[in-house]
Amino acid sequence: MNIPTDDSNSQLRYAEYVLGVLDADARAEMERDIAASDAVATAVALWQRRLLPLIAESVSIDPPEYVWQRIRHQLALAQPPAAEHPAATPLRWWDNLRFWQGLGLGASLLAAACLVLLVVSPRHSSPTAPYLASAITQGNGRVGWTATVDLDHRLVVIVPTRPQAIAQGREPELWLIPKGQRPIALGMIGGDTPVTLSLGPKLLAGFGRGAALAVSVEPPGGSPTGQPTGPVIAKGLVGASSTVIRFSGGRSARPLDS
Amino acid sequence: MQPVRAIEQDVKDVQDELLLKTASGDQSAFAELYRLSSPRLYGLCVRMLRERGTAEEVLQEAWITVWHRASTFDRAKASANTWLGTLFRNKAIDRLRQRKEQVLDDPDLMNDLEDDVPSPADGAEQSQDYLRLSECLEQLRPQQRRAVREAFFSGVTYNELAARCQVPLGTMKSWIRRSLLQLRTCLDP
Repeated sequence: MNIPTDDSNSQLRYAEYVLGVLDADARAEMERDIAASDAVATAVALWQRRLLPLIAESVSIDPPEYVWQRIRHQLALAQPPAAEHPAATPLRWWDNLRFWQGLGLGASLLAAACLVLLVVSPRHSSPTAPYLASAITQGNGRVGWTATVDLDHRLVVIVPTRPQAIAQGREPELWLIPKGQRPIALGMIGGDTPVTLSLGPKLLAGFGRGAALAVSVEPPGGSPTGQPTGPVIAKGLVGASSTVIRFSGGRSARPLDS
Repeated sequence: MQPVRAIEQDVKDVQDELLLKTASGDQSAFAELYRLSSPRLYGLCVRMLRERGTAEEVLQEAWITVWHRASTFDRAKASANTWLGTLFRNKAIDRLRQRKEQVLDDPDLMNDLEDDVPSPADGAEQSQDYLRLSECLEQLRPQQRRAVREAFFSGVTYNELAARCQVPLGTMKSWIRRSLLQLRTCLDP
């Protein structure tokens, strides 16, 4: 066992353990040391405090409900049924959380309503709307951006539904993915401001049935390769504008429609 | 941003309290803690294990451990956030060590994982601690910064890390070690 000292070798070992680069044997040895020595445990805890905030870079994903049911079931074996309704006493933060979720939903509804207005109010008379729309949705199911494609004027207006946090030194890039084809770069977009991009005439054909829009995280100025190099953080099918209205607005869109 | 920060602090305090109550066997506190913390922890597991089925298993196993080990939580040593993060990462790393073969990089996984280097999901979730750490990471050389992130989220050993980044083992070790010491200097007041 390693007697704890403050020298950089032991410090490195604690740090490597916390980072996770040690092999199984070295990890097991470290864990024995932690259990045996408060000083080691404290030093390791310090490294955890330093490095663990990096977790913030992984996206929250709601686990399926059955995971909780399994946990409850498994623990109920050891713990006789005491709390049948564990979520029955909401706390203040819960209200807060709901509030924030509500805000997100509100933004989506608002965005949908804007799209309705956009589609319904303008001057065009042709029965086929020259607009397409897409709700570009993130992994957590929330709409990150809404896009409206104005085919007549060959423009895409892309609006974040709320400020999107993009890593420092990176920028979101918008891609068109025609059905069954490779992504085509449309341009850099904003994480917190609406952006209008113009579309080359050749691109319009790509907006056919089954086309999708996606947002990836790229170096400033865009992907150097012409294909997404960073992670795809949101995507959505492109449809006639009614698709979007049904998707995020529900029935509230109808009164405006008629 | 102030109100968001205040709520973030609220949530952290509530998390601490819920974990303390869990330690005393309070099942409803445990359930609340699960609801509050699971999305982030599950997101972490999915990212590390690159497969939802395994991530669900690890999530379940880790929460069972939380219930049994909550009494070892010491608020003076770490926040509930850090305590939980450590426990879940360790479970994920243990699972990775069991699974000799790593899932190869599959382009479809990118869609599944949605997110990678370094794009926090939500502005509200950028804690002060994270912002400081990310500033310090920015001061590292790009290759070393990438190696630290890859190590943190892949949970793989030096050997495999070196293979993934296509550098000799010795180079990888010195990158990581130098980065860790540099991070400590940058983070510690």
